Amino acid sequence: MVDLDLNYELVATFIVNFIHENVLSNGFKKVVLGVSGGIDSATVLDLAVKALGKENVYGLIMPYKLSSRESIDDAVMLSQLYGTSYEKIPITDVADAYFSKLKITDKMRIGNFLSRIRMAILFDKAREVDAIVAGTSNKSELMLGYSTWYGDMAAGMYPIGDLYKTQVFGLGKYLRLPQKIVDKKPTADLWPGQTDEDELGAPYCVLDSIMFLLLDERKTEEEIIQLGYDESIVKNAVKRIYGTQFKRTLPPTPKISSRTLGSDFQYPHDIMK
Amino acid sequence: MRVKISLGQINPALGDLQRNLGKHVEFTEKAINDKVDLIVFPELSMTGYSLKDLTEKVALSLNDPFFKPLLSKSKYIDIVFGFVEKGEDKNTYNSAAYLSQGKIVHLYRKIYPPNHGMFEELRFIGSGDKIKAFNTKFGKVSMLICRDLFHPSLAFLSFADNADFVLAISSMPLRGLKGQRPAIQEMVDIACLSYVNFYQLFVVYVNRVGFDDGLGFYGGSFIMSPLGNKNIEAPIFEEVLVSGEVDTEDIFKKRQTFPLSREEDLRVVYDNLKRILEERNG
Repeated sequence: MVDLDLNYELVATFIVNFIHENVLSNGFKKVVLGVSGGIDSATVLDLAVKALGKENVYGLIMPYKLSSRESIDDAVMLSQLYGTSYEKIPITDVADAYFSKLKITDKMRIGNFLSRIRMAILFDKAREVDAIVAGTSNKSELMLGYSTWYGDMAAGMYPIGDLYKTQVFGLGKYLRLPQKIVDKKPTADLWPGQTDEDELGAPYCVLDSIMFLLLDERKTEEEIIQLGYDESIVKNAVKRIYGTQFKRTLPPTPKISSRTLGSDFQYPHDIMK
Repeated sequence: MRVKISLGQINPALGDLQRNLGKHVEFTEKAINDKVDLIVFPELSMTGYSLKDLTEKVALSLNDPFFKPLLSKSKYIDIVFGFVEKGEDKNTYNSAAYLSQGKIVHLYRKIYPPNHGMFEELRFIGSGDKIKAFNTKFGKVSMLICRDLFHPSLAFLSFADNADFVLAISSMPLRGLKGQRPAIQEMVDIACLSYVNFYQLFVVYVNRVGFDDGLGFYGGSFIMSPLGNKNIEAPIFEEVLVSGEVDTEDIFKKRQTFPLSREEDLRVVYDNLKRILEERNG
């Protein structure tokens, strides 16, 4: 396994500075984020409070009927611990009205739809309180595409988007997040008993090592397998990364004019800074 | 000769010329009050870094009246800053200007704008091809811009041209947060330590802070002496004005102890470089 540990003191300072500057220079003071009770949103919550002050961080807890009781309790506990404003908005009524009308039972469709309802609520709340939506996606799920396009991927910024899940655990420990949050098995919590590692077919420490070798060190699939990593896990990870590239790019536009979105209309994101 | 130098480690506003000019004037006035001889600002200090399509909007020729407030300050202090130059050839350049006594003393165009990975400078600007150590009140000065610093050939040319100071201005994005310090900061130190030890001159490195589109610039500006130590060093991540004094006699002393410049034979370099180029071109 690759040692993915970072200097978390520097990482924390760097991300706190990023959140502070990114929010203020784009004309905002606040962020809104979904607080799930997991380590990703707990980490972003901690860093956002350090960057903006607890009065400028707004947490939304959006349980569905199948969400675990523990997740909801932990999300409330975290919000109270940090003293941030939070609101519990159950999404069961909205979601079930749609699922029952269209008789939807497919887990993937249900999971994606729940994620997109949460997205819609987050952006609505951001409009209400004049805030930017802080995404809580990490590099592992962004690269593996293990996230919903225009669902949990939708955000105004990705504060922990360049940290593998293993590194989010390291940062979470450095930040002294409550032990039960750090110890919890990663889960999208879309149905009882679901875990990321069951769905992805390998533990994060293995997947993160493979991604680090492939992406950061530019090793080939063959070189990684020769290092002793399981062939099917490596191939599956590579397939996931390339197969979900569409989620990480702007939608292609058939180019007609001399300046087209995505090709030659290239203003920076921070144009209003 | 003792020279007091300020490092203007600022966080420029992306594409906002007026705000950035205001910050230059403010920092320069502080330095003047502190009786500083030379203030150095980072690469593209007047415009910010990740400009992309904003490049053409913020491009200015060096004789543009926009620079008048700084030119008039330069009657009291020498000033180095970075900007997007609108060249007479109708190209844009990532340039640095040296102002002194109300005049433009020197203009340098970045020779190696990087164009790979996160860098896409050559999509929007051209490259320079001239480096020259020019005369100032404090000795001969050569300027480098960011990636230029990682090309030892340019530091060598500065040395060959008898520079006392290499002013390296930078918008160096942070990467590598595993060690005690950012990995890129270590790399800058390695380059500069080599130059001060073997080219035996002062390196004044000024890097910006803040973020453009998620790229974080770490600061950590410094002056490194030919004696191999840092005379002054700014903290990382903070917008700050740091000043310190250096003694140019350090160059003489170092070169008496370890006379590399006396040994250096430019004809050997020239003849062999000529041969290499001829062989390469067949």
